[in-house]
Amino acid sequence: MFSRLAALLVLVPSFVLAQRPVIEISGANFRPMPVAVAVPLTQDEGARAAVAEFDAALSFDFAACGLFQVLDRKGFLADAKEGVTASSIQFNRWTDVGAESLVKTQLSSDGASLRADLRLFSVAAGREELKVSEAAPLKDARRLAHKLANAVYKHYTRETGPFETRIAFTRKTPSGRDVYVADWDGKNAQRITNGDVNVLPALIPGGGVAFTSYRSRKPFLFSAQGGGEPVSLIAKGSMVTGAAFSPDGKRVAVSISEGENAEIFVANADGSNITKLTDTKFFLNTSPTWSPDGKRLAFVSNRAGNPQIYVMGADGAGQKRLTFQGNYNTTPSWSPRGDLVAFTARDERNAFDLFTVNVDNAKVTRLTQDAAGNEEPVFSPNGRLILFTSSRGGSRGLHVMTFDGNNQMALPMEKGDFTTPDWAN
Amino acid sequence: MSTPASLLQDRPSPLPIFVGLSTLGHVLAVAAWLLLGWVFAGPKVDLEQTPIKASLVRLGKPRDQKLLPRKEEEAPPPAAKVEEVAVAKPPATDTAVKIPSKDAKPDKSAEKKDGAKDAKKSLFDAFNKTGKAGKPQELEGAADGDPNGDSAKQEGERYYGLLNSVVKRNYDVSSTIDEAERRRLRAEVALRIGHGGELIDVNLIKPSGNELFDSAVLGAVKKAAPFSAPPEHLRDSLKKNGVSFVFTP
Repeated sequence: MFSRLAALLVLVPSFVLAQRPVIEISGANFRPMPVAVAVPLTQDEGARAAVAEFDAALSFDFAACGLFQVLDRKGFLADAKEGVTASSIQFNRWTDVGAESLVKTQLSSDGASLRADLRLFSVAAGREELKVSEAAPLKDARRLAHKLANAVYKHYTRETGPFETRIAFTRKTPSGRDVYVADWDGKNAQRITNGDVNVLPALIPGGGVAFTSYRSRKPFLFSAQGGGEPVSLIAKGSMVTGAAFSPDGKRVAVSISEGENAEIFVANADGSNITKLTDTKFFLNTSPTWSPDGKRLAFVSNRAGNPQIYVMGADGAGQKRLTFQGNYNTTPSWSPRGDLVAFTARDERNAFDLFTVNVDNAKVTRLTQDAAGNEEPVFSPNGRLILFTSSRGGSRGLHVMTFDGNNQMALPMEKGDFTTPDWAN
Repeated sequence: MSTPASLLQDRPSPLPIFVGLSTLGHVLAVAAWLLLGWVFAGPKVDLEQTPIKASLVRLGKPRDQKLLPRKEEEAPPPAAKVEEVAVAKPPATDTAVKIPSKDAKPDKSAEKKDGAKDAKKSLFDAFNKTGKAGKPQELEGAADGDPNGDSAKQEGERYYGLLNSVVKRNYDVSSTIDEAERRRLRAEVALRIGHGGELIDVNLIKPSGNELFDSAVLGAVKKAAPFSAPPEHLRDSLKKNGVSFVFTP
């Protein structure tokens, strides 16, 4: 009796004080969701011609956005001809190939337009999660695919996807370098300029593109709208470069060279009312980029002896250095989410790679490494992706990756020498 | 002759003695426990302790803070046993040295030999290049780190660092969880580990509210098991009380 009592008295405190150590784990490996994208089904001869284009665009959107891992169709066990309704799908066979989601589409055409019905299924639950129907002119099969991909993207993230946005870039041509505007995947590229050297395109919110052109001998800023002839926007000093339009499209920031130095200026979007923001004699201030609220600008300056990223108010006040690591940091792009600035840097191995710096705590994160030269990052309008140039494929091509450096992919474009991309709605 | 006592007569009850002795026993036991606890006092238990941030520090050289960061590289795997590679035998050739005759003309194949020399040189160059490419890169870490470490920073109890490391390796979460939701996700998992490192049980004690995330954190622990055997001083504690993992994205 007594011994039991004593044992109880001794054990109770140890139970009361029993404590588990707590280990904190963060830094999850955000893994793309394995998705099976079945070959689009169609009964119409008219729609059959559009299947390949539609399918290629839809598959690329899913693969490049970073949310999904598109499964190789060679591994599919399910009958390619199975239906598009939950009752006709053998979900266990999709589970066997590792799919967590399944996308099925059916195309039909009335001769002039193409109609697509997309259904998204949760494979584990064996149920339909989303059904979307859209139509577009028959020639716009890719755009129709982008629209449906956006619907799936929104279903998961509750935000607008990047698939119906546009990009601008320059491409080396026999007569110099020309500006192009294309869909986000580089397809449907429209040549904006024709001859001379045209560089640093900046998409204008609401339409049009501005760029630095040597067409008037001196490199000044021009803009082109809707396929029209380029018109002069800012012609000042000896060189106008690095145009960046404010998110509301009302102002444009540029770098203007005058003599030995280059300064940041801000003007109205039509080039009027130009105001100088930086004033550092004998130093270069270039590559302005707007914060998403339009109240601040990040830019490059060599006032500390080598090029570094700086930030300042949109009126030029409060200029301060943002990057302190590395000695050659250039081409900043401010994330539309506001938290990060992506930039190109030359590291201690003399490799050009991409990094982000957190605007609040100045923490620098590497995005690319050991994959040839990577330069000129620009964020997608929703801030989840980064478009950049890379020489990893031999020539300088356009690539895309998630904002944290994952899922790096080349755009499906023919080879060429592409530079200075921009990305906007 | 005295009258025998009545059976109904009041007799002294043993209960007060029993209660008294019992109370005394209790008091003595508590006093002894307090005394022993005071004499053999272990480290004070801090009920407000902060969570352990454990990771296994990699052996290496600390990185200069002025340099741009590099992505964490995997520690090199242990050297694989070199297997003998079967080499095809060269075709049999006439190795006998030919003696030139008196009127023999200069051999035009001498030029070819120069060519062969070039080929040899390029072969050596190729070896040199291969040699340079194959040179292992110096890993960054701490001078007192561990060869198996997978992080260049942070330190805690070594075994917890190992647990952290293996669980983190399997901490795969679906990218489809949207950004806004990621910020508020937090789940706590409790697990108990046997003396040999086997997973006894695992429970989600504080779910995050997101099914994908909750199943991912449970999956991370299950996939990481079995763990390496705990050190002697942690064995009983890990078997009895276990350890908690607090997962945040």
